Amino acid sequence: MNRRNFLSWGSAGVVTLGTGVAVSLGAVVRFLMPSVFYEPPQTFKIGTPGDFAFGMPTFLVDEKIFVFRDREKGFSVASAVCTHLGCTVAHFQSDNRFHCPCHGSVFAPDGSVIHGPAPKPLQWFEVTLARDGQLRVDKDKVVPAGYRLMV
Amino acid sequence: MNLIRDIYQSIVRRDPLSTDKGKSELVFLNVWLHIHPAKVKKESLKFKHTFYLGFITFFLFVILVTTGIALMFYYRPYPPHAYQDMKDLQFVVFMGPFLRGMHRWAAHGMVVCVFLHMCRVFYTGSYKKPRQFNWVVGVFLLLLTLGLSFTGYLLPWDQLAFWAITVGTNIGSYAPLVGGKLREILLGGHTVGEAALLRFYVLHVAILPSFMILLTVVHFWRVRKDGGLSRPVWKLKPNKPEQLVTIGAPPQTAPLNAVAASTDKTYGLMEVVTGKPIFETITPDEEEDAVFSYPYAFFREAIALMVTVTGIMAISLFFRAPLEELANPAKTPNPAKAPWYFLGLQELVSHSALLGGVVAPTLMVLALLAIPYFDRNPSRRPSDRKWAIWLFTIFVVANLVLIVIGTFFRGPGWALVPPWVHVVAGAE
Ligand code: HEM
Ligand code: FES
Repeated sequence: MNRRNFLSWGSAGVVTLGTGVAVSLGAVVRFLMPSVFYEPPQTFKIGTPGDFAFGMPTFLVDEKIFVFRDREKGFSVASAVCTHLGCTVAHFQSDNRFHCPCHGSVFAPDGSVIHGPAPKPLQWFEVTLARDGQLRVDKDKVVPAGYRLMV
Repeated sequence: MNLIRDIYQSIVRRDPLSTDKGKSELVFLNVWLHIHPAKVKKESLKFKHTFYLGFITFFLFVILVTTGIALMFYYRPYPPHAYQDMKDLQFVVFMGPFLRGMHRWAAHGMVVCVFLHMCRVFYTGSYKKPRQFNWVVGVFLLLLTLGLSFTGYLLPWDQLAFWAITVGTNIGSYAPLVGGKLREILLGGHTVGEAALLRFYVLHVAILPSFMILLTVVHFWRVRKDGGLSRPVWKLKPNKPEQLVTIGAPPQTAPLNAVAASTDKTYGLMEVVTGKPIFETITPDEEEDAVFSYPYAFFREAIALMVTVTGIMAISLFFRAPLEELANPAKTPNPAKAPWYFLGLQELVSHSALLGGVVAPTLMVLALLAIPYFDRNPSRRPSDRKWAIWLFTIFVVANLVLIVIGTFFRGPGWALVPPWVHVVAGAE
């Protein structure tokens, strides 16, 4: 084998090997990304409008949301997940604010940050009325803070 | 009786330990012991040089592997069984609380000791040439230790576990560009759930320990190949940095077959290849300072082992590993705290998630890795390296202060509360 042959076969070998390694690494990363998530659905029904009281928000434990029912303005749904690092915020009746137990973020009733490390306001989710008369929340659809469903 | 003697001699082939030859062969012929040299410098054995912290760290790891395997017999990494199994270990399994305690306290101890070991290596300047790379290996061992603690923390599936990991993995998602995906891969989902528990389990019992063993082997091998332990600081000659003393060894460039036989010392292949005698820092007149590893080094290591094991056993007899309520994604405990060694990080994070949770720790690790390459001062004597010592001490103290604040001065809602004030949490 002469020098020229050696170099071309050699570089072909290196390229093949490199491609093989890169493809395998990609496959490993893809393998680790689940194709199916066995997690609760992002869209779910929470009951009929009559189930909710006026005034103070109702906290739904499993869905981690606050449901507001306002006499004039209707329904709105806020996320209970702190935008800092994901702890569940609590609504304090005393000051009508959301308090995060983890690093002390405080949110106003409209979700905006009053103080603390949270970088963004609490999220608001779209709530609609399903055909069967139940309220349906879609966590994939984030809406601006003023969003209301009039029932 | 001949048969028994034959069998014994087929296993133990060395000369009797009363002879120097036997003492050397004990080390040479034994796969486990031969990571040691046959002879070690007396000064290397001095407690006040190493405090045996590296050994203690290693022995704690051995305890962790043994008790961890025992726990695996009763643990299913699936919620909510995981938590039930913890309860079983706590109340039903024979010696369960003791085993769990040993595993938990040894884990805490390992974090403490690996950190102290790093401090000892720094303050004695032992990361300097030729040991720079072993320091780097050490930094990765430190990270692996923290990684094992973090993954192990989720396994009991109690409130503490769930929220510490929720917060911890969310910190990761602040990393620019890849953060969100990284968290998804780590958790196998979008929230801490059954997929996350399984992944953390695999990391905790298979992947991270394998890397730990691998790197520990490299670490030990390097200690040996870097010429054994560094000289104790008080043995350094004044105003003369430690240097290699080559006692008539052939130059490195000499071809192997052209090495002239030395008259005053014979060299093995290894010394010819490396171009320096194995006892690189010993001059012939110092050679009498060396002692046989058996029994001097082995005896001391055995004592360190026994002190470590009995210490952890004693603690586990009197203190149980904590276990809180079953993990409840809906209810965040107040205050929700990470394990103590991450509370410094949590304190930083409470000011800014990106700066405190991603930027600061990354810079810290990079700074640690860079130390041996940036500190070009060849001297290891403390009086010559005031700056380095000051900087490192500030680093250590800053870490400790943050941890103390996070542990003792943070109450519900992460509000600043001194430890002597009692707050009734969760008013609402
Ligand atoms: C799992 C963690 C670790 C284990 C089991 C371990 C074990 C050891 C042992 C047994 C020694 C021999 C001397 C002694 O006891 O001090 C040693 C030396 C050394 N270690 Fe570690 N170590 C670990 C982590 C680290 C870390 C975090 C660093 C630094 C960042 C480090 C850097 C070094 C260096 C540079 C030496 C040589 C010191 C000298 O020559 O005086 N190691 N290690
Ligand atoms: S998670 Fe809410 S303040 Fe940190």
